Amino acid sequence: MQLKRRKFIQLGSAAGAALTVGSQFGMKAKAAALMELKQTGSASPTGKKNQEIPYTCLTCNIEDGGIAYVEDGRIRRLEGNPNHPGNRGKLCAKGNAGHLHVYDPTRILNPLKRIGPRGSGKWKRISWDEALSEVAGKIQGAMDIDPMSIMFQYGRNRTHGLVYRFMNALGSGTVNNHTSICECNKKVAMEHAWGPDIETPDFAHTKYILNFGSNLAEAAYFHNPYIQRLIDGKVENKAKLVTFDPRMTNTGAISDEWVPLKPATDGIVALAMCNVILQEGLADTEFIRKYTNVTAHQLAEHLKQFSPEFAEKESGVSADTIRRIAIEFATAGPATTYTYRGSSMHQNGVYTEKATMMLNVVTGNIEKRGGFNLPRGLGFGGGPGPHPPKPPHSILKYPPEYPLASHHVSHHVSHSILEGRQKINVFMLYCHNPLYTQPDGDTWKELLSSEKHIPYSVSFSINMDSSTEYADIILPDTTFLERWDPESMPSSALGWVGLRQPVIKPLGNAKAFRDTIYELAQKIDPDGKRGVKKYFSYGSAESYVKNQLEATPGLKAAGGFKLLKKYGVWPFYDKKKEDNFKFGAHEEALSESDLAGTTLEGRTLMKGGKSVGLMVDGKAVRGFGTPSRTFQVNVPEWEHYGFEPMPHYEPIEDHKRMKSDELLLSTYKPNVHTQSRTPNLKWLQELHHRNPAWINSETAKARGIGDDELIRITSPIGYMVTKARVTEAIHPQVVAIATSSGMTNKATVGNYGGTKDPDIVQNTWWDDTGVHPNQIIPVSTDPIGGGMGWFDTVITVTKAKAGDKYGDTHSDRGAARKAFEKALSKATKVRDSGDAHNTTAKTNVRDERHTEVGGVFGTTAKLRDFEDPHNTTA
Amino acid sequence: MAKKKKYAMVIDINRCIGCKACMTSCKAENDVPLGVFRNHVRELEKGIYPNMKKIFLPVLCNHCDKPACKAALPEGYEDAITKRDDGIVVWDEAKCKGKVAEAAIEGCPYSNAFMHPQKNVFQKCDYCVHRVDAGLQPACVSTCIGGARIFGDVNDSTSDVFKYMATHSTHVLKPEEGTTPNTYYVALDRITAERLEGSQQLPPTDATEIAVENFSG
Ligand code: SF4
Ligand code: SF4
Ligand code: SF4
Repeated sequence: MQLKRRKFIQLGSAAGAALTVGSQFGMKAKAAALMELKQTGSASPTGKKNQEIPYTCLTCNIEDGGIAYVEDGRIRRLEGNPNHPGNRGKLCAKGNAGHLHVYDPTRILNPLKRIGPRGSGKWKRISWDEALSEVAGKIQGAMDIDPMSIMFQYGRNRTHGLVYRFMNALGSGTVNNHTSICECNKKVAMEHAWGPDIETPDFAHTKYILNFGSNLAEAAYFHNPYIQRLIDGKVENKAKLVTFDPRMTNTGAISDEWVPLKPATDGIVALAMCNVILQEGLADTEFIRKYTNVTAHQLAEHLKQFSPEFAEKESGVSADTIRRIAIEFATAGPATTYTYRGSSMHQNGVYTEKATMMLNVVTGNIEKRGGFNLPRGLGFGGGPGPHPPKPPHSILKYPPEYPLASHHVSHHVSHSILEGRQKINVFMLYCHNPLYTQPDGDTWKELLSSEKHIPYSVSFSINMDSSTEYADIILPDTTFLERWDPESMPSSALGWVGLRQPVIKPLGNAKAFRDTIYELAQKIDPDGKRGVKKYFSYGSAESYVKNQLEATPGLKAAGGFKLLKKYGVWPFYDKKKEDNFKFGAHEEALSESDLAGTTLEGRTLMKGGKSVGLMVDGKAVRGFGTPSRTFQVNVPEWEHYGFEPMPHYEPIEDHKRMKSDELLLSTYKPNVHTQSRTPNLKWLQELHHRNPAWINSETAKARGIGDDELIRITSPIGYMVTKARVTEAIHPQVVAIATSSGMTNKATVGNYGGTKDPDIVQNTWWDDTGVHPNQIIPVSTDPIGGGMGWFDTVITVTKAKAGDKYGDTHSDRGAARKAFEKALSKATKVRDSGDAHNTTAKTNVRDERHTEVGGVFGTTAKLRDFEDPHNTTA
Repeated sequence: MAKKKKYAMVIDINRCIGCKACMTSCKAENDVPLGVFRNHVRELEKGIYPNMKKIFLPVLCNHCDKPACKAALPEGYEDAITKRDDGIVVWDEAKCKGKVAEAAIEGCPYSNAFMHPQKNVFQKCDYCVHRVDAGLQPACVSTCIGGARIFGDVNDSTSDVFKYMATHSTHVLKPEEGTTPNTYYVALDRITAERLEGSQQLPPTDATEIAVENFSG
């Protein structure tokens, strides 16, 4: 269905107009008799007028646009922003429940200071002044000893630079993110192959989609915007969708073919298909010749080792199926692959991601209508100056044994601190719940409980979660509906920038993280002598974000920050523009001024020590965002560190040695939850609260396990007792558990200032909230990307043993440690337990990584001037 | 002369991704309590590994031309449920409560109506009548990620719903009940074919999957 949408209204007068109540976001009304109903707008059941305020969603991390309807100071309802180029007026199940974050009964609305032992759940309320003075004092103390001993651990950080500004100002490079448990293997592979860390396929105009383990119908990047286009492509353009996944996800359900395969073998399937395509003479040899750094002949010869028969042996997918799908993909017309965490978050994930990308290379489906395309996004600036200098990187952030892990190795950090690799005096936690979301969560519990390793611990949190419970002090943060942020995501071929703005005043005494940091900086450095304060002199959070967004080219002329406050996003969705989008950014000719002063190295045009273009048949073009400006089928950096530079498949060692009764554990995110942040959202929890383990009926039968019966799952580091969901929808060698259930914190409704919702009190009808699997998942790591091998755990499954109770989980500290050491043993170098200050962790990707302001990610050359290696996605 | 308005909804099974945005948007828009739903997305699984099928079936009130819920009202309470001129089936909270509501709920052959747990009054989908009267699409339609739900005036040849019905073949659930539904389905035959071959409702991981019904449409 094509919804008619409002045209980009003429700016000028409208842009400056005050926010008015009405349906400013809806479609233009036609003559009354023929009026089509508008997609969005306010019509409160109470009949009361509502304020309409645009915002950017942060229930998950796709950053869709929404409109909040506020009635009597309370958010009544959220809707999609119809002008938003990504989500086009629609919110997913989570987004529709997003305001429940504000009214979360476990919200913390006052600063809390621990009064019992760590993790005891005993707190006392203190004032903001007391809280900030205490934290500032601890930070000052740590600065005097060693600023690097101040650690900041973040997860879903969308401040776009503020965390780094703060830590850099303090002089500490000890900042850790969470990308290694998200999708960093995919990012690292893509960065080396073509520049940017993600793709934006043109699903709406494609004819064939090969999906390797991503679940776009439920989660993945960019669930809501992409699945809309994918369905348009399937239904209107008759595209065929084929999904490789050991579990039948909802994406599998809507696929024309679901092809289950053994986990961690997507790469060999993809390479065998590439081989078939070259052998059958179906490859786009011109694309290979012009835009890659290998010849078609070299590639064909290299790929010969990956026969469909070998792929069948590894993956269980028949050679015939591999051949047939390869030929279909190569001959369907425009075609694209899609991947996310499913195929890449294995110990061989970087190789796998490159292998699946290769399918688009050999068929020439890169940067074209209906193909696999570069991400488009509009960037923004780094905020008001001055900017603090960058301190040295911490060894925790860039461990030298992972020289190519440009997105940190976050899941090693708990073990590393416990073994004394770096001394921490102050630990700060923001938007991350490592005890729950990281593998081997009990090691994080050990770390966060240890006053020896973490002498002082601060959590900036909106509510009580499993990790915040171990803090010494909690500084209550605001939700995404009570704060300012700039946003930009490549969720549509039409790039956009969006604004997150408060739609109501913060509840209670909660304070937005931006404001807390600002005030903390003043407390740390009241007289400016520490050199911190000068970086925190810009005034309000709003003025900071305004400064960032007004650096976006073209925005100022279109209406600037005022426009964003009124409409939430710029530019507006334009269907015609998206349908007629011109791809081919790599073919774009360099201008005279681009060319001036360039020198040629091979086919690569260099300027000021940087590659800026590629010579193709005597023409100077942009090429891709790699050092050679080609699509790097051969990655020299990988060879440099002893990895395979050419497309490669590396079987997982543990999987080769699996005994016949052993299985593999897989985890997943269901459509109505995020990983860890949504268990208190009643409408989502109602739809999905328990997480029985999916097990194939044959596998269950062989073990005498019946549906809904108690089972014990044993991994190399422990066991859990949960229930079985016996199903046909999963590979017989795989057991899958949703990670969004089984939160075990002690938070109860209304404890910390959150309100009691009578609906929750009276009508909650479930008491089973599932069993969380991460405690029994050992640390394992891709030696190239530094990403967690989430779906590689070898397990055994039996009926529960006598005395086993539903929900029992146990992990063995020694075994967890061993698993970590095993992961390290596969890393590049013997690591030196070094001093954080001496680390010069450096790779050509890491330090040059940037998001361009304006244009296509990775093909233009302007830098966004703040450090945030996590800025485009995840 | 413009014809009288008649609201209807088409749900295209080929576009439904089972995302349940329709369910949470409805909860939010209509403040629907936990434990009850105005709309459901049923999930049906069928087949033996690896030849599996999984299909989603969104259900909600059909706004029947001959509403069986209304027909089931006790004597003297006939006006507790009204079929509006534009086709939307609404109820009067002051009248449709207690035993009267129970009878109406019992009367719906689709199990689409329920009792509000606290107010003890009749409840069901009302096509978001407060939105429709204000010129807005129902909440579930507005947010439908797959673009599976199309709503509007079937008597208006320029409407999306008219055009969709003119270009797609549609079916209704349980036509043999004689209620003449106004919620139509595209590709319902995919569901009924599955049902006929004995597909099974997923176990109750989800509230959406609690009730197993016989779709024979
Ligand atoms: S997909 Fe993510 S950003 Fe979009 S509506 Fe859902 S939660 Fe919000
Ligand atoms: S579907 Fe049921 S509740 Fe809705 S109008 Fe028909 S009979 Fe009444
Ligand atoms: S919102 Fe639309 S696509 Fe999603 S489950 Fe409901 S009907 Fe299906």
